[in-house]
Amino acid sequence: MTIKKRISYIFKVTYSLLTSQYALMLEYRAEIALWAISGLLPLIMLSLWLEVEPDKSQLLENTNLYRYFISAFLVRQFTAVWVMVSFEQDHIEGKLSTLLLQPITPFWRYISSHMAEQISRLPFVFVILSIIFIFVPNSLWWPGYQDLLLGFIAIFFAFLVRFLLHWICAMLCFWNERASSIERLLLIPYLFLSGLVAPLDKYPDLVKDIALATPFPYILSFPSMILSRSEVDILNGFLFQLGWIVVLSLLSLFAWKMGVRKYSAMGA
Amino acid sequence: MIKSISIIFRTLRIFWATSLAGEVEYRLNLFVECFSVIGNLSGSLFVLYMFYSNGKYLGGWNWNSSLVVLGFYYLLEGFTIILLQPNLTRIVRHIQQGSLDFILLKPIDSQFWLSSRMISPWGIPSLLAGLILIARGIYMSVHTMSISSILAALTMLISSLAILYSLWFLIATTSIWFVKIWNANEVLRSVLVAGRYPISAYPEVVRAIFTFILPVAFLTTIPAETLLGKSYISWMSSSIMIALILFLTSRAFWKYALRFYTSASS
Amino acid sequence: MSIVLFVGIVEVMTLISVRNLTKSYRIAKKSPGLVGTIKHLVARKTIVIEAVKSLDFQIEQGEIVGFIGPNGAGKTTTLKMLCGLIHPTGGDVLVGGFEPRLRDTEFLHKIALIMGQKQQLIWDLPPIDTLKVNAAVYGLSNSEANRRIKELGDMLQLEEELTRPVRKLSLGERMKAELLASLLHRPSILFLDEPTLGLDLNAQIRVREFLINYNKIYGATILLSSHYMSDITSLCSRVLVIDKGTIYYDGSLEDLTRRLSPYRGVKIKFSKPYLKNEFTGFGQVIEYSEYFAQILIKRSELTSKLYQLLKSFSVIDLEVSDPPIEELIGEFYQEIKTS
Repeated sequence: MTIKKRISYIFKVTYSLLTSQYALMLEYRAEIALWAISGLLPLIMLSLWLEVEPDKSQLLENTNLYRYFISAFLVRQFTAVWVMVSFEQDHIEGKLSTLLLQPITPFWRYISSHMAEQISRLPFVFVILSIIFIFVPNSLWWPGYQDLLLGFIAIFFAFLVRFLLHWICAMLCFWNERASSIERLLLIPYLFLSGLVAPLDKYPDLVKDIALATPFPYILSFPSMILSRSEVDILNGFLFQLGWIVVLSLLSLFAWKMGVRKYSAMGA
Repeated sequence: MIKSISIIFRTLRIFWATSLAGEVEYRLNLFVECFSVIGNLSGSLFVLYMFYSNGKYLGGWNWNSSLVVLGFYYLLEGFTIILLQPNLTRIVRHIQQGSLDFILLKPIDSQFWLSSRMISPWGIPSLLAGLILIARGIYMSVHTMSISSILAALTMLISSLAILYSLWFLIATTSIWFVKIWNANEVLRSVLVAGRYPISAYPEVVRAIFTFILPVAFLTTIPAETLLGKSYISWMSSSIMIALILFLTSRAFWKYALRFYTSASS
Repeated sequence: MSIVLFVGIVEVMTLISVRNLTKSYRIAKKSPGLVGTIKHLVARKTIVIEAVKSLDFQIEQGEIVGFIGPNGAGKTTTLKMLCGLIHPTGGDVLVGGFEPRLRDTEFLHKIALIMGQKQQLIWDLPPIDTLKVNAAVYGLSNSEANRRIKELGDMLQLEEELTRPVRKLSLGERMKAELLASLLHRPSILFLDEPTLGLDLNAQIRVREFLINYNKIYGATILLSSHYMSDITSLCSRVLVIDKGTIYYDGSLEDLTRRLSPYRGVKIKFSKPYLKNEFTGFGQVIEYSEYFAQILIKRSELTSKLYQLLKSFSVIDLEVSDPPIEELIGEFYQEIKTS
């Protein structure tokens, strides 16, 4: 009896969660459609690389490209960050003062809204992926449970690294009202060093080494490589991700303290 | 007729004078834009270099001629920053806050007002980058340049601007129904990104999509081909046709959408 | 020197005529749960909300008409239909000989809509920049624009405020600048939606005085909605009472007061404190403190109720008057609701 009750309870909760999320998605269906187009960059790059390969009969190489860029697409969807824009808006509109009065640091509010949004993206990512796999059935692969799990952990860490990076820059709003334009600068190394436009292995060694010294490959390239089952030093990658998370957390704590001090001095 | 044209020119002058006055206060943007153009440009050239390190041609284009394509991409990017982006964000805000009411009550075309109200000087670095790339690419690949091909290329550029504008305005118009489309800017940008490379560098299916569904081919590749003297009259005329059709569609769609504007209730 | 008096030849003519005007919105309705969501996706169930049902009225040239009613009565919707911002679902509207919905250029030159809670002034720049934009849009020459800015600025008592950034202006100054921006093209028909919203008493009075002057000088027709009854009493000779999209009263303010005056206000001072609920049998208590009460009493019952009051309470002072107009209108709304 109790087991039956339990099962029905779990079923109920899952059911209502799923339906409410789905309803929320419908509310934002225009947003999602637009966002879908804007997230397709890895697939555009994929199609370019496929044509560039000198010998198109290199099937193995092509499969790797497919897997890498499709994984990159997936990773990008779950590491989207827009905290600079919303923080700037809250700061200008004076909402920040109210947020500061609440007994929870605003950081958690922003990060949780990002995570909630990612959940609502899930079904949509499935739709796009299935479209790809229907039209290019050869590209379908199964990374295996272990890599899938590791990949998802890596995606979460990647999200944290990226979020912290943007959060630190968002703190600049305390000093300059229009700081969100800095986001455009942050986008450049993300585009060219993270492995979004090409797998890092294709880079010249010097550029690759430079890239690996920045946090950007750990935002995109590393989780994509796990998911696409490319050769990658998993332990090393996770250590670097965690290292960046620690360093950026400390930095962001410092930046937050300084920012709030500045904010209170100005008279919030 | 003459009077209404003179009203339009006077209005434009005042629009741009007032919006520049507001924009110049934010000098951080100049710094950001310059750095962003330099960074972006070197990144794009680097990616292009990686493509060419595998073979001599990218979809039948050599290095110098694909620089021309990239140049046209930067011209469009500059145009986006100068005119499209500042106005798009405002259209969405006007609809959200209901201040579109005031614009609709003015005896001037509302689409004209909404598309030209703001102007931002921060796209100039991109424009410069585009001009330099085009000049360099042309200088290295074609030695003689006829006036007629320059004029033809200018026509193609205008029609690609018209295509980009119309697509952008179509997206902006949907905010009458879906009020929350702040990431529309991103969409526009990412469609444009595909235009950094010649259209023939893409696999056939993608090429078809970028020609018939999202007319990216007409944005950068066709103007570049025309300038290099490689374009066919059929492509050029279809570019003009598409520009015209899209522009008229954007006007008709705006008129249609206004019927559903309920004016954010007070 | 000959002075031509135009006032004499202005004929009384119908400027705004509204017949059978209706507006209904379709609103999508979704039932909860997965089934509901999918149904919503496939076939939307919509309900129709009638914001305005069958309005009929006419306004003559030069009139100042007040448009009153509780929140959500359909006032704003009607005003916006008269401007052509919202397309009517049915009925005929003619404003100054034009069908507003078509938004004819000539029509737009004739009208202005001023909204208390929305603004057209550019936030970061001084009002003068908005004025310049409007002058260009309406095709006014620079000298003409400057002349009008001076003229209206004098009437509104605006001078150096016009060159200060809008965000640094007070609410009252902003509203005055807003009026100036909306009237630069000298419209002959003004629609005002809550023009004094949030203004302090002084600023309210300024705005009213200005509207009266504008009406006198330019012979403009004014239709305004407001929640402040003093706007209506000091400006309008005629009121339209609207609720749930229907007109309940159309006529002069005095007639309305007379019609509602079965109620009279009775102010009483007591020598000792009473509880509020001790007065429940007498009428609506609209003001109360321990030693004082003001009660609305039906005129027909006035003498008997007064007798009872004097008998059951220790009264020091008693005053019978017409109740404040706000209360009357409030009563009227109540009546409409129950009817």
